[in-house]
Amino acid sequence: MSSPASFLGGAKDRLLPVSIPFRFFATACVFHILAWLVLLAGAESLPGFGGETGLVLAALHLLTLGVLVLTAMGASYQLLPVATLNPLARVWPTRLSFWLIVPGTLLLAGGMVDANTILLYVGAALVAAGLVVFAFLMADNLRRARKAMPIVAAHGWVALAALTGLLSLGLILIADLSGSFLNSRQTISQTHMVIAAFGFMGMLSFGFSHVLIPMFVLSRALPERRSWVQFTSAAIAICFAVAAMVFDNQYLAVAAVVLGFCASVIYFHLMGHAFKTAMRKRLGLSFVMIKLSWGFLMAGLITGFAVALDMGIPNGSTLFGFLIIVGWLLTFLTGIQQRIMPFLASMHTTGKKGIPPLLSELTAEVPLKIHAVCHVVALVFCATGIVTDNTYFVSFGAAAGLAGAIAFAVFAGLVISKLRKKSDQLT
Amino acid sequence: MTTGKIPGKHWRASDGIHLDVRGLAPPEPMVAILELIDALDDDNIIIVHHFRDPVYIYPELADRGWSCKIVAGDPDEVRLHLRKQL
Repeated sequence: MSSPASFLGGAKDRLLPVSIPFRFFATACVFHILAWLVLLAGAESLPGFGGETGLVLAALHLLTLGVLVLTAMGASYQLLPVATLNPLARVWPTRLSFWLIVPGTLLLAGGMVDANTILLYVGAALVAAGLVVFAFLMADNLRRARKAMPIVAAHGWVALAALTGLLSLGLILIADLSGSFLNSRQTISQTHMVIAAFGFMGMLSFGFSHVLIPMFVLSRALPERRSWVQFTSAAIAICFAVAAMVFDNQYLAVAAVVLGFCASVIYFHLMGHAFKTAMRKRLGLSFVMIKLSWGFLMAGLITGFAVALDMGIPNGSTLFGFLIIVGWLLTFLTGIQQRIMPFLASMHTTGKKGIPPLLSELTAEVPLKIHAVCHVVALVFCATGIVTDNTYFVSFGAAAGLAGAIAFAVFAGLVISKLRKKSDQLT
Repeated sequence: MTTGKIPGKHWRASDGIHLDVRGLAPPEPMVAILELIDALDDDNIIIVHHFRDPVYIYPELADRGWSCKIVAGDPDEVRLHLRKQL
């Protein structure tokens, strides 16, 4: 019988200390609650939201930086070194990035509530510094991932380029609050949102899907040529979308959405290939959320198409942003996170017989079911509230989202407590 | 057992069934190992010749009641000794 130490052999050399990924995931859960809470407080401003300072902007950044980016950072730090066979040279920069971005996000969001420039500058500086540390660490890993995972690396490089762009635009937007030098603040703000949602988070979610989905469903490798076509069309779509914003060109906007559709359809085909060749057929609630998120991606793109053609959807731009950021990206990440947290916990603990505990021992089904129901209710009610300009719908949706976020935090807390208990049993 | 469609090379030796997954694209090494485990009837030892330490397979092995140990192998491989927990 193998000893606990020998079971994982050299694997733990490339696994970060468990506190690293879990501090990102746990803090993302707290920001998830805060984001819905702040949106609930500013519900009346959501339907006509156009990027101006206030509670909705604060909620948006608590969600994007606090939930989406923190989760992506935790997952990247853990997954890339394992996939590239190279451990991170040093662990402290991961901690540094965490301690920069967490207070930075809080200050930035605080400053956004009432356009407090001091809070905005300090918060933005901390967030930017944290993201620069993350970018350097990720770039180092992507450089080494070129041969092992070329598709994932390609998505990662585009995401990093987008990160540079969105950070620059974000800082310009903050500087403009006190200087008022921009001719069209709206254009820069929309470009910032498109680069952040599609260029950074979207490309990360597409790229990581090429590794995580086949791994979770235990499928054969995805077809390489089709994967490159998907990557190329997604990257060109993002370039077109940015050009459409900058030049205020409707044709480029329509072309961007059409290419985005093509990239998404190819991506769904690739994921379909994974499901068809999967060993694991019963995929559970996490994959219900992941598939639901793909539905919201399509709904978002259809809305984007209608907005590009000026088809007169009430509050169409806000609805588009909501469907993409909350409907697609947040739903996708909660689906991935509820699968990956017990998985990582299992890899970090070893049972009495020298084998890791079962995944089912480390998860918590009930809070996840509550989260799923509340999350769907939140999406439906907030989207309806945006279109009908109805504050009550948005408030009810935000309250449901808050309840769901609390349930998700309970799930994360239970996983961490089970992880601690299993770890204590070993010592 | 039916192992015809399992990716990689596999053969039987005195110390167990050997499976060479080097050269397969991820996650096929993991899938090959798990498919072989699922296809086995009586055998309870598998020797895997891998190009790396496959950390993500450990929870899956645990789910199936198998333990794993890294043993000495050739310089260009990570050799894994998989045993069914009886």
